[in-house]
Amino acid sequence: MLRLGPDHGPTILALPALFEEANRSRTLLVAMLRRLADRGIAGAIPDLPGQGDSLLPTRQARLSMWRDAVAAAATTLAGPVHLVALRGAALAATAIDPASCWYLSPLTGEEQVRELRRLRIAGAGDDYAGNIIADAMIDDLAHAPLPDGARTRVVRLAGDPRLADNHLPGAPPWRAAEPVAAPALADALAQDIAAWIAG
Amino acid sequence: MVPEGMNAVEATVRDVLRDVLSLPQAQVDGFSADTELFGTLPELDSMAVAGVLTELEDRLGIVIEDDEVDGEMLETFGALTRFAAERALV
Repeated sequence: MLRLGPDHGPTILALPALFEEANRSRTLLVAMLRRLADRGIAGAIPDLPGQGDSLLPTRQARLSMWRDAVAAAATTLAGPVHLVALRGAALAATAIDPASCWYLSPLTGEEQVRELRRLRIAGAGDDYAGNIIADAMIDDLAHAPLPDGARTRVVRLAGDPRLADNHLPGAPPWRAAEPVAAPALADALAQDIAAWIAG
Repeated sequence: MVPEGMNAVEATVRDVLRDVLSLPQAQVDGFSADTELFGTLPELDSMAVAGVLTELEDRLGIVIEDDEVDGEMLETFGALTRFAAERALV
């Protein structure tokens, strides 16, 4: 688990986007947490089983493992835990009770699976843009609800017309063919999160 | 707000190609109806096509079925814009 900022006070538990989108948006997520750490707000980015630096092969990952891992990560953090989830990662956060939830461009389990299936068709193989994902995991995701209950804020990018509490200008790095440094977007997102947590 | 009108759809297609293919603004600004895309633009491989389609769906509030996708609608900027407009402007 990558930890940034102080070891006390409110802490952001930040979940990267899923599968291929994680590679493309991790730089943005780390940049956001660095900016929050500069403001004195602690952050932690866990590696979900089968994702990032996790030792578990991606094909063995199941949604229940992700939920357990998120819950376990939350118990190691000091102070009130505020959830930040990029894209489909929110689907893995139903087993915790955070002080608040902040989602960037969330999508439903059904939408996540639709995107994954499109990638598999594009690759013309059994993988999903290089990820081997079990059919059971696809099925888990397809039926996964977004968490509800906690105080929740949804932020989307300006080109995305769907309902949100705030729309910020910027291109979606999780779609970009080449890694994009988006310092202005990271600034704006960190500022939105800081104000949300303080509120 | 979902973009309405042909000009708004065309602008959205331009933005999506810029954002998904990581193209410079000047390059997408230079796209005309005849600009060739799939097979000519090296950045537009089959994985990138998937990203372009999904992003067009999100930004235009449309649904694109995979059996509607063929080489023809990806051939030129004009063809892709027409394809998007036929679904977005009803």
